Amino acid sequence: MRIAVDPSKCQGHNRCMIFAPDVFEVDDYGFATVQNPAGTVPEERVEAVRTAVANCPELAILVLED
Amino acid sequence: MTEIPVRDFDFHGPALDTIFDTYKELRDHCPVGWSDRYGGFWFLAKNEDIFNAEQDWATFSVAPSMLLPAFGTDEPMIPIDIDPPLHSAYRKLLLPLFTPRAVDALTPLVEETARTLADEVVKGEVADIGLGYARPLPSIIFCTLVGYPPEDWHMFDGWVDRIIYDRDVNPDESATAANEVRDYLWSLVERRRQEPPKDDITGRLITAQIDGRPITDEEILNYGYLLFLAGLDTTAWAIRSSLWYLARNPQDQERLRRDPGLISSAAEEFLRTMSPVQAMARTATKDVEVGGCPIKKGDRVVLAFGSGNRDEDAYPDPDEIIIDREENRHFAFGAGIHRCLGSNLGRREVIVALREFLDRVPPFEAVNLDEPWHGVGPLTVRFIREA
Ligand code: HEM
Ligand code: SF4
Repeated sequence: MRIAVDPSKCQGHNRCMIFAPDVFEVDDYGFATVQNPAGTVPEERVEAVRTAVANCPELAILVLED
Repeated sequence: MTEIPVRDFDFHGPALDTIFDTYKELRDHCPVGWSDRYGGFWFLAKNEDIFNAEQDWATFSVAPSMLLPAFGTDEPMIPIDIDPPLHSAYRKLLLPLFTPRAVDALTPLVEETARTLADEVVKGEVADIGLGYARPLPSIIFCTLVGYPPEDWHMFDGWVDRIIYDRDVNPDESATAANEVRDYLWSLVERRRQEPPKDDITGRLITAQIDGRPITDEEILNYGYLLFLAGLDTTAWAIRSSLWYLARNPQDQERLRRDPGLISSAAEEFLRTMSPVQAMARTATKDVEVGGCPIKKGDRVVLAFGSGNRDEDAYPDPDEIIIDREENRHFAFGAGIHRCLGSNLGRREVIVALREFLDRVPPFEAVNLDEPWHGVGPLTVRFIREA
């Protein structure tokens, strides 16, 4: 799985950080990015990331490759 | 031209008693329609329509106000009544105080306050935990966040009640209370300008630069006033409605006692199904059609968050409160660029309030079954102690 956060949609509300704090990170304003610059999600975290995707209020987490 | 679907839709006061049935009827038969209340407005009842309108801020402006009816003032409140580009400058000023890290730093105070309040209400056999627990907690935390003297929180509830809950029945009273709050805020600002700088909300507001110029006194007041109305009764409502539910559903109460790990998903579910903010308004900046309805430039448009949160097209069993629901994207905090600035804090306060309460208080049950699910009024419970 490969993901990205769309900065034009992310409103920095950190639901992603609740479900996968080891995959996402937030800046001083709370806006999220994916820690891994390539966006690749390790196999064992795919399910957590799916939950984050499903809970992001802005649909800002893009699944580039499933 | 097709006929415009009309309903006598209201989303304040007693209308909330039966509002979930109202929403269902709207979603089934009139997902977009017109109500004559509050000067007339369109309403959107479907999850998808609300989401799209929230994202399209250029068409759905927050001017002159997101509130319908207004909160005792004609001044635009910051940042809720401000459109881009200025909106994001205002928001950025305070965002760093509401990140997960900032909220983590405040959490010990939330926990300690919750414990003190819980230990106090549990002394009797019967208690009003709306008044004694749900309401004071957010007010006390707010004092630290903004920089008010901690003992001042006692004054806040009366102001909030008069401004918010009297505004559809007694607008003059609402306006008087609004002026009292603004005077109070102003005295704090003047005092803080004499004192050494501190990094709290007031500290950030009085030293702020907006668009490369110093913030004006009016802007400081209009921001401070909004925070006062956004952060207090919303959080109190969320805590009270969660406890309201648990007082009536012993099985779920017992389940959360046994498995506190479920409290955060439960809190999310309570926020979805009993949202403190049932709706917010926008104004169309141009003619636009939604669900076949001809919305005209200048028309008011109400986004019925509470209805979107129970939309059968968005959630399985939408009216069921399922405390371990995993997929729970909802509008309790709105969406889009105006989504709640304090959501991390509000959510944390609800979770801590529930955790500490269940930890320190024996099983409790509702005493007065007439007390409604909504609002920040009394919530009377009896504690069930082993003989
Ligand atoms: C559980 C508690 C809370 C709930 C349910 C809640 C709900 C909301 C909602 C529905 C909105 C409007 C969003 C929209 O129109 O899309 C909002 C905006 C806002 N809230 Fe909250 N809120 C809560 C707690 C707080 C707290 C604790 C604070 C700050 C101390 C706060 C500050 C704000 C601000 C500043 C805005 C305006 C954001 C903007 O216009 O950009 N809220 N809130
Ligand atoms: S949950 Fe979505 S909107 Fe919120 S910080 Fe994460 S990516 Fe951004």
